Amino acid sequence: MTLLTGEGYWSPLLWLAAAAGVVLLSLLIWSRGRKGYNRATEQDLPFLSGEKREGVHVGGGHLYWGFVEGLRPYVERLRLVHSGFVGDYVAWLVVMLAVVFLIVLLGG
Amino acid sequence: MNLAAHAPILAIAVPLLGGFALPLWGKIHPSLRNLWLALVASLTAALTGFVAVQVLTTGVQVYTLGASSPGETLSPGGFPIRIVLTVDALSAFMGAIATLLAVVAFTYAWRYLEEEEGKTLALTLGTLLWAGMLGMAFTGDLFNLFVFFEVTSIAACGLIGYRTWTSRGPEAAFKTMVMYTVGGLFVLLAIALLYGEYGALNLAYLARLIQGTTVDRIALGLLLGGFLMKVGAVPLHMWAPDAYGEAPAQAVILLVANTQTSLYALFRILFTLYGGVADPAIGWLVVGLGMLTLVVAALMAVVQMDLGRLVAFGAVSQIGYMLLGVGVGLTVISSQPAFGLVAIQGGIFHMLNDAVAIGLLFLAVGAVEKATGNRDLGNLGGLGHDLGWTTGFFLVGSLALAGIPPLNGFASKLMIYESSFALSPILAALAILASILLLAVFVRAFQGAFLGPRLASPKPVPTAMLVAMGVLALGVLALGLFPELVVRHLVEPAAKALWEGREAYLRAVLGG
Repeated sequence: MTLLTGEGYWSPLLWLAAAAGVVLLSLLIWSRGRKGYNRATEQDLPFLSGEKREGVHVGGGHLYWGFVEGLRPYVERLRLVHSGFVGDYVAWLVVMLAVVFLIVLLGG
Repeated sequence: MNLAAHAPILAIAVPLLGGFALPLWGKIHPSLRNLWLALVASLTAALTGFVAVQVLTTGVQVYTLGASSPGETLSPGGFPIRIVLTVDALSAFMGAIATLLAVVAFTYAWRYLEEEEGKTLALTLGTLLWAGMLGMAFTGDLFNLFVFFEVTSIAACGLIGYRTWTSRGPEAAFKTMVMYTVGGLFVLLAIALLYGEYGALNLAYLARLIQGTTVDRIALGLLLGGFLMKVGAVPLHMWAPDAYGEAPAQAVILLVANTQTSLYALFRILFTLYGGVADPAIGWLVVGLGMLTLVVAALMAVVQMDLGRLVAFGAVSQIGYMLLGVGVGLTVISSQPAFGLVAIQGGIFHMLNDAVAIGLLFLAVGAVEKATGNRDLGNLGGLGHDLGWTTGFFLVGSLALAGIPPLNGFASKLMIYESSFALSPILAALAILASILLLAVFVRAFQGAFLGPRLASPKPVPTAMLVAMGVLALGVLALGLFPELVVRHLVEPAAKALWEGREAYLRAVLGG
């Protein structure tokens, strides 16, 4: 059941056994924590930026906001390339063909 | 008549003819059409499975059309003049992927598509696309490869744009059609060049004759251009997010299989047709395109707010991993065969893993759209309260695609990471970075759409759709937990067919 991956190996069942050990350890630590948590009370409410708000949802546009913003300068350049014009798509195909020809004809 | 001997051609003919008969049954009653489709799909799946078993147990299967016996590939002059199907382990592997996705797509479509929204047309086009994919996988003839390339292109464009009452579907279909047509012309021109030079179209026969002349190299460049476009390698990928994002979910997973079939054709050209003369520079070209594809597509996925387009960019990035694995193999296999074989195995194994995981994600997106009428991550939220199964399936698919152990994407990515690391550590580092980006993308999508408070009351997802997703989710788990079995019995023979098995492929057709 062990997959040889060239330099190493991968055994999912061994990994599962290790994961089960980690889960058991986590449960053990969790069971020794505070007992004062009650479901469906105000302890369940999200607490964002000092404000208590009910029904608040951190949507897909907000999660990893800083991460996405950090990547935005690179992504915006890529967005420009994805113009949506089929003429541009074909132009890229022609450019790519030129590159391929260059490599195929000069490669060997 | 020995029907078993005709299995390769029947596997193509049954969905082709069965697909054309579907509208006739549909005219009588939708139930009869559904019954007919179930019959065609079962028979095609059984035939594809039978051919695969035959290949794995007895070796390369050859079928000659119009000959007195299927094995009679050569004319009295010792020349393969008839159309020959040649099915080796890689063809059978590709046929199995196409069949798995087609059967799941039709199961899903049963309750996903509405009768009044062109269901008969969608099922007919889907069946024809399946026939075209099996044709591409099984043919041993270069011109027929082009014919089936066109069959798949026409059916795929129809599937993307048949919903003419939406504006974006036909637009995406038009863009895809333009790209497929230009790419198809490249392929046709390459075939014409090879035919002009050698006077033959049989793949095995040409493979014996090709010497690496300038004309051969121009033909190779054209073939690469055409197939890399249909594969969706960056920067030729731009039609793919449009098409995947606008086609209905059951059609998208057939498009994924179609893309992979083109990848298969690319590998067949590089290894079987040009295997004797190709040089490492072409391997580096494939590696470079693979890297570009996986990084650019992962970056583009980060900023998508439409769930369908987000998964579409994820799908494009996975093509990069397959190109990387096989490209590394192509670069080193002549100098270090063992190392090259592991790289190729990683790339080929990832084809199966990607088909299952990305198929699951596209179907989950379709379920979300059907239940809520919405795919915008800015408006979705809390679907986990009502769509428990769909939530679970999306999570499984996302984690698998991001390569989280012990799900299936991890095993093939590990093989690709290790082999690309041995070629250059930068390749492995960038591949891992793209996986991390994809994990962030899918965590963001999962949180946005499925977690949080209930924002709306979605309609329940029909059982047939859940069953289709369940089959793929089980596939993700099974491939993840038992990768060694899959690699030993399916992937390794397929990878060996490309290199060590090349001579067996040629001998099966040409004798000697």
